[in-house]
Amino acid sequence: MDPVDLEKLNSLLEHDVGVNEKIKEQVKEFDKKIRIIVGILGKIHSTPSGSMPQLIESVQPVLLSCREITAAIADVIPRDQFWRWKDSWSNSIRAAVFASALIEYLRTGTLISLARVSSEILGIQDEWKDRFSLPVEDYLHGLITMVNELARYSVNAVTLGNFEEPMKISAFVKELFSGFIMLNLKNDSLRRRFDSLKYDLKKVEEVVYDVSLRKLAVPVK
Amino acid sequence: MQATFQQFRDDIDQANDRRERLIKASRDVTNISKKTIFLLHRIVLEDSSDDRALAARAASSARQKLTEANAIFAAMRPELAGDLFWRFQRQVSPGLQEYIEALSFAHYLDPESHGSLISYQQVQDALSDANGPYFPLTTSDYLLGLSDLTGELMRFAISNITRRGGRPKANEICAFVRDCKSDFERFTPHVRDLSKKQYVTASSLEKIETAAYALVVRGSEYDLPPEMLDDLVAQTTSRFGRGDEDHDV
Repeated sequence: MDPVDLEKLNSLLEHDVGVNEKIKEQVKEFDKKIRIIVGILGKIHSTPSGSMPQLIESVQPVLLSCREITAAIADVIPRDQFWRWKDSWSNSIRAAVFASALIEYLRTGTLISLARVSSEILGIQDEWKDRFSLPVEDYLHGLITMVNELARYSVNAVTLGNFEEPMKISAFVKELFSGFIMLNLKNDSLRRRFDSLKYDLKKVEEVVYDVSLRKLAVPVK
Repeated sequence: MQATFQQFRDDIDQANDRRERLIKASRDVTNISKKTIFLLHRIVLEDSSDDRALAARAASSARQKLTEANAIFAAMRPELAGDLFWRFQRQVSPGLQEYIEALSFAHYLDPESHGSLISYQQVQDALSDANGPYFPLTTSDYLLGLSDLTGELMRFAISNITRRGGRPKANEICAFVRDCKSDFERFTPHVRDLSKKQYVTASSLEKIETAAYALVVRGSEYDLPPEMLDDLVAQTTSRFGRGDEDHDV
């Protein structure tokens, strides 16, 4: 190979290595934050509903600080190369979606929109579009993790004496499921995780069954 | 919520359809490129007194054939515009690498290029038209495509070895493949799958080396200049090889 050409290729590859290293650094910080957030959210299973607002308040600042990470990553990604590098942080961002969605549910009982996670929580800006965005797949992955967690929460809420919660969760999760079922998913990890949702639904249904049979819950309305 | 998921469905469907279209296009490019490679092998093995003209004809026919692939690439351009390229790069890669293999083989055989390796820029230029590049060429597709070239060169060297002038040619190819292998070595940590291909290159290289060795050892038993050995072999093979035709009768 011509020495000039060899050098050119080498510098192109070195540049990629540089980008990769900078992303890795940020992802490491991202994961640290995620671990703190998931750690705190793990306590919902043992927190009575009265103390839930304080618990959620305590996660909020850490979650919002993830904006620093998204901005730093967007800064190092070369133009049009979002999809080239996105796999490096997809696990972290899915976890961030999970946390945002779970908090939103606990606070308002509703589903957080993709646009809200993306811009209001993670601070992702429209003009980063070709360098950093939140793809539908990652958002959906985060929602499935939330359903997994809510199924567990329905059980533990009952243990804490909150008999209404499983009813709410059941209605919420069923509606979400009816959304998922509209999608034509290809055979990938999202599809496999979607397939496992039915077990979560079943779990919640069983709790609802147990609670209603024993007339523990006061009917809603 | 129904409306939101309806939107997601449209997005996902659109991406999946695009992916399918690109996989098909990539497969078509692979097909054309494979045919081009066979075409090259066929032409350079034709009987001819002028090897240079033969090689030039092979290279130009191959380039002609590859224009079919270029038409497909040109049609892919809107599907890969902007950030779409990296989203679907994995679907485009297989055909593209095969194309680079065929293109680099034609380039190597072309007397105009004096047995050189096609450069990154030359490949990117081949993947362009008046409106600029169809899509960006990645270093990994370039290197992996070239890595496959060594296998074709091995086939070429060995099937060519009994022809007149085949032995110096085989030695030339041997040196060329050896250089490729050592040049690529430094890139292996940065390019996925390159080390696997280096392994294949090593085995191709060994096959050429073994063939070259056998010829030297056998040739040493006759105290004749290489051209006379060529003549000797050519006479014998022509006497048998054309038995079903009427030339010698």
